[in-house]
Amino acid sequence: MSKVGVFVCHCGTNIAAAVDVVRACEAAKSMPGVVHAAEYKYMCSEPGQQMILDAIKEYGLKRIVIASCSPRMHETTFRKMLKKSGVNEYLIEIANIREQVAWVHDDKEKATEKAIDLIRMAVAKVCRDEPLKSQMIPITKRALVIGGGIAGIQAALDIADAGHEVTLVEREPSIGGRMVMLDKTFPTLDCSACISTPKMVDVSAHPNIRLLAYSEVAKVEGYIGNFTVTIRQKARYVNHDICTGCGACSEKCPAKVPSAFNKGLSKRPAIYTLFPQAVPAKPVIDKDSCIKLKSGKCGVCEKICPLGCINYEDEDMEFTEDFGAIVTATGYQTADWAQMYDEYGAGRFPDVIDGLTFERLVNASGPTEGHIVRPSDGTEPKTISIIKCVGSRDPKKGRAYCSRACCMYAAKHARQIFGKIEGVRVFIFYIDVRTPGKGYEEFYDKTREDGAIYVRGRVSRIYKEGDTLICQAEDSLLGKQVRVKSDLVILETAMEPAEGSASVAGMLGAAVDGDGWLTEAHPKLRPVETQVGGVFLAGVCQGPKDIPDTVSQASAAAAKVIGLLNKNEMESSPMIASVEADKCSGCSACEAICPYKAITMGEQPGREAGGNSKKVMRPIAVVNAGLCQGCGACTVACRTGAIDLLGYRNRQILEEVDALWV
Amino acid sequence: MNYTEKTKLIQTRAAALLEAGEVSYVLGWGATRFADKTRARFARSPEEAATLVYNEHCTQSLAKYLVDDRWPETRIAILARGCESRAINRMIRDNQIRRENLLILGLPCEGTDAERCRSCRAHDPVVYDELLWEPNSTGAAAAAELSRYYRADAVDALSAAEKKAYWDDVYARCIRCYACRNACPVCSCRECFVDMHRTGFQGKRHSATDNQTFGVTRAFHVGDRCIECGECERACPMGLPILAQTQKILKEIEALAGDYEQGLDAAQDNYLGAFDLDDKDDFM
Amino acid sequence: MGINEATTYEPKILAFCCNWCTYTGADLAGLNRMKYPANVRVVRVPCSGRVNPQFILRAFARGADGVMVCGCHPGDCHYTTGNYFTRRRFMLMKKVLEFNGIEPQRFHARWISGSEAAKFRDAVTEVAQVVKALGPAATKVTTQASSKAPASADIESSVQKEGAL
Repeated sequence: MSKVGVFVCHCGTNIAAAVDVVRACEAAKSMPGVVHAAEYKYMCSEPGQQMILDAIKEYGLKRIVIASCSPRMHETTFRKMLKKSGVNEYLIEIANIREQVAWVHDDKEKATEKAIDLIRMAVAKVCRDEPLKSQMIPITKRALVIGGGIAGIQAALDIADAGHEVTLVEREPSIGGRMVMLDKTFPTLDCSACISTPKMVDVSAHPNIRLLAYSEVAKVEGYIGNFTVTIRQKARYVNHDICTGCGACSEKCPAKVPSAFNKGLSKRPAIYTLFPQAVPAKPVIDKDSCIKLKSGKCGVCEKICPLGCINYEDEDMEFTEDFGAIVTATGYQTADWAQMYDEYGAGRFPDVIDGLTFERLVNASGPTEGHIVRPSDGTEPKTISIIKCVGSRDPKKGRAYCSRACCMYAAKHARQIFGKIEGVRVFIFYIDVRTPGKGYEEFYDKTREDGAIYVRGRVSRIYKEGDTLICQAEDSLLGKQVRVKSDLVILETAMEPAEGSASVAGMLGAAVDGDGWLTEAHPKLRPVETQVGGVFLAGVCQGPKDIPDTVSQASAAAAKVIGLLNKNEMESSPMIASVEADKCSGCSACEAICPYKAITMGEQPGREAGGNSKKVMRPIAVVNAGLCQGCGACTVACRTGAIDLLGYRNRQILEEVDALWV
Repeated sequence: MNYTEKTKLIQTRAAALLEAGEVSYVLGWGATRFADKTRARFARSPEEAATLVYNEHCTQSLAKYLVDDRWPETRIAILARGCESRAINRMIRDNQIRRENLLILGLPCEGTDAERCRSCRAHDPVVYDELLWEPNSTGAAAAAELSRYYRADAVDALSAAEKKAYWDDVYARCIRCYACRNACPVCSCRECFVDMHRTGFQGKRHSATDNQTFGVTRAFHVGDRCIECGECERACPMGLPILAQTQKILKEIEALAGDYEQGLDAAQDNYLGAFDLDDKDDFM
Repeated sequence: MGINEATTYEPKILAFCCNWCTYTGADLAGLNRMKYPANVRVVRVPCSGRVNPQFILRAFARGADGVMVCGCHPGDCHYTTGNYFTRRRFMLMKKVLEFNGIEPQRFHARWISGSEAAKFRDAVTEVAQVVKALGPAATKVTTQASSKAPASADIESSVQKEGAL
C-alpha cells in the first residue's frame, strides 16, 4: 500500500457548511492507497497539525493529502510541518475544497461530489510524488553594474557602501551619463554637475568599486549568484596607469571633430576627455578621427606626453570576471527627431534644436559658456518656442508612450531662458501638462507666472520666413490656427532605449517590451527585478523617468542586490526540469523553447546503436538547476518525455486526469 | 535519360567511391524477386555497386536508415531525391545525423509509382554534394497531379458526423504496429511515447479510442516537422490514410503563418518550437 | 450516470489552470463568493505552457465532456513566454480535434488573469452550459468493461520502490 493519509479540513464552517466533510472523509478511506482519513475543524491550527503528525506516526503514513483551502494559502505551512515529521516535504498534495468548492457552490450534494473528486485526484497525484531536495547554490559576493549614468552610479555606491565589491562598466570614456550634460535640474534648479560630479568622484575613490570606463559587456554566462561576464576594454591608446590627466596631449592634438557630448556645438580633439570633470579624468584616443592611427602621420601627442603614456599599438582587451548579481542601468538616448519630423525641417534649420542641445547651450561649462545664442548666427533670440511630445505620444511618427520628464523639462527650459535673456518671450506648445511629482505643479505654476505662454496644440509645421522660424499650430483651446515667429525652437524629444540596450538584454536573457525597454518581473510588486534571477533594473532602461525616480529605483535595485549578496548561498526550488539521459535523443527542441537558457546540450558517453560498438559521445540535454524556474515548457517540446518536470511529471498529471473518471 | 542510363550512372559513381575508399557504403536501392518492387540496398564494395538499381519502383525513401549509423568511421554515400534530401535536412536540424558524415548523391526525380509521388512538390534534391544528372525542369510543383493536402482536404470536406465515422473506421482498422513511426524520418526519439508504460501516455488496449490517441499524438509530434515524404503510408500494412493527420497540421500552420515547408534547409525552425508575439488566438 | 441520464446529466469538465494567473483568479472567485456550476475540476499546473496536448487527448479518451486550458494573458506570463507556445499549440489542437470528429465545442482555451475572478466564473459557466447542451461525449472508450487505468499494479510496484527511498 502507498500509505496515504487524507485530512479533510472544516475551516470552521467555511468548508463544512457547504461540503459534507464527513462523507468526503469516508469516501477518501476507500480510495486506492489511502490507509487513514480524518476530518478536523482547523487543519492549519496547532492541534490540527499535531493531529496529522500523530497520524503519521501511528499509521506510518508516507504521503499526505490535505483537503482544505487553496494550496496558495497553506502549502508552505504544511510543508514546514512535514519537515518536522521526517516525511519529505514534497510528498504532499492539497485538494482545494474551499476557494474552488465550498465558497463557489450552493448545492451541498454537488459540492461534496466535487470535493470527493478533487480529493481522489490529489490522492492519485500524491501516489506519484517523489521526495525532492532543494539544492544550495553558492553566491559570488560581487555585483556588476552596467552603465555609469546616475542610476548606475547610485546603485554602485549603495552596494559598495554596504560592503560588497562592485564593478561598474561604462562604454563612454567617462561616467556621468545624460545627467552631467544637463545644466540645471527640476524642480529645484540646482546645478546638475554640482550634484552629480561629487558622486562620480565618490565612485572613483571608493575602495569597493572597480570602475571600467570605455568598456562594454561582451558576454554573460551563468545564473543567479554565479554569473561569468566577459568584459571588453576598448583600446584607449593611452596608458591610464601612468597618465596623470595633465591634458597637454588634448591641447596640441591637431585633429578636430564635432563633440558628441556638446551635441555638435563645438569641436573636440581626437585625444580627449569627455568633459572637464570627467571620471576617470584621463584621455582616450578616438581611433576614427586620430590622424596617426588613420594615416600613420602625426604622432604629436606621443611627442608631447611627458610620461610616455601614448601607445598607438593598443588593442581591445577581453577578460572575464565572476559576479553574483547584475544591475542593468543602460539608460536612454533622445529620439532622432530629424528622421521622424520632416515638417520640422528634418534638421535643415540650424535654429531648431533638441532639448539636450539646449542644455549644452545654456550650460556655463558648455561651448557658449552659458550664453543662449542662435546656432546659425550667434545672436541672442528674443522669441523662443518650445515644442513638447516630439516623438512621444505620437504612435504614427514616434512612440506611443509619454516620456514623463519632458513637461517639467520644458518648464525648466523656460525658467532658464527667463533667467538669462531680458525681455524674452517663451511659447510652449503642449498636448497636456503632466506634473505629478513633489513640487512639480508649483514649479509649473511659477513658470506661467514668469510669463511662459502655454499654447495647447501640436505644431504642424515649422518654416522659415527670412531670418525667423514660424511655428504653425492649431490652438485647440481657441480653435484657431496660430503662427509664432520664433528665433529659436527647442524640441523636447522622446526618450528611447539606449542604442545597444537590446543586445545587453539579449546577453542577460532579460525581456524587452515592444518599445525596447527592459521588462520588470512584475509591474507593481517586483519593479526592479527582471524575470532572470539575479538581474536587476535601475533607471530609464526600464522606462522613461526623471532623475528622482531614477535614483530611487537605483537604490531599490541596490537593496535587492545587497539582500542577495548578504547570503552565502541560496536555496533553489527542487521543482525543476529533469532529464532522463537515456531517453534523450539530443534533438534540442527543449533548448530552443526554454525562456531562461537553462537547457544546454551536453554529452553522454556510451556504446550506442549505430555506434559500431565504439564508445561515442551522444548529445543530450542538460538542465542548469540554478537557471531553471520550473515552468515546464520544455516537457511539452520533448516528444519522448525524456525531460520532465519534478513535482508535475507527465505521469502525475495523467494520473490526476485518470482519477476523475474511475 | 532513361532509367537504364540512370542506373548505370549510379552504379559507376558508387563503384568509384567505394573503390577509392571514400565512403563506407552507398545507400541505394536493389532489385527484389518481384519485378515491380525494389528494396534498400547497402552497397559495400564495387561489386555490390553493380547491383544497385534505379527505376519507377524505388518507392522507399532511404533517409531513415541514416539514424541506424550515426557514428560511421567513413562517410556514408546516400542516393537522395527530393524526399530523402528534405528528410536529411530535418534530421540534421534535430541533431540526429551530421552533414559531415554524409556524401549526398543528388537524384533529380520524376516520381515513382507510389501514390504520394503524385502530390510531390519537391522532386529535386535541396541538399547534395553532387548531382548525378541534371534536374528535369518539368519536375517540381507543376507535375503534381494531386493537391498538396489532398488527404486532409478530403476529410475537411466531410461533415462533423462523417468525420467521426471516417476516423472510427480508420482507427478500428489500425493494428498499432507502429510501422508508420518506424518508417518516419522525423520520428527520431530513442524511446517512443507509446512504449513508455510507466508514464502511460498511450493506453495499451486495442480500442479505436486508444488507436486514435496514438494517431493524433503522432501527428502532433511530427506534424510541424513533416517533410511530406509519405513513408508512413507506404509502411502501413493496413493502407490507412496516415498522411491526412500531418497534412492537416501543415495545412493549418500554412493558414496561420503563411508558406510553410519543412526540410528546405538544415536550420529551419518548426512551428511549435517557436512563437510570434502576434500569433492569433481567435480560437478562444 | 443512471437511467434518466438525459435529465440528470451533469458534465464533468477538466480545467488546466496555470498557478500564477488563472488558478489565482479561480481562488479569487472563491474569496468573492462568486457562484458557478460545480462541473469543473481544476488541475493546477505551473504554466499553461506545461499543458501537453496529450493530456487533453487523454481526458477525452477517459470520457471528459469538456476540457479547458487557461493561462495568463499573452505578455503576462510568469515565465515570460510560456503562454505564447500554449497559444500556438492549442490553436492547432482545436483544429485537429475538429478534424478528428471530436466536437470542438468541448475544448476551450482562455486567458484569465489573477484578478479576473469574474472572467473565470463566466468562462466556467459558459463552458458548462455549452457542454451540457452537447450531451455526454461520445469519445469515451467503450470497447471494454473497465476503463480504469492499469493503476493498482503500478502503484504496488512504485510503493515497493519507495521503501528504498
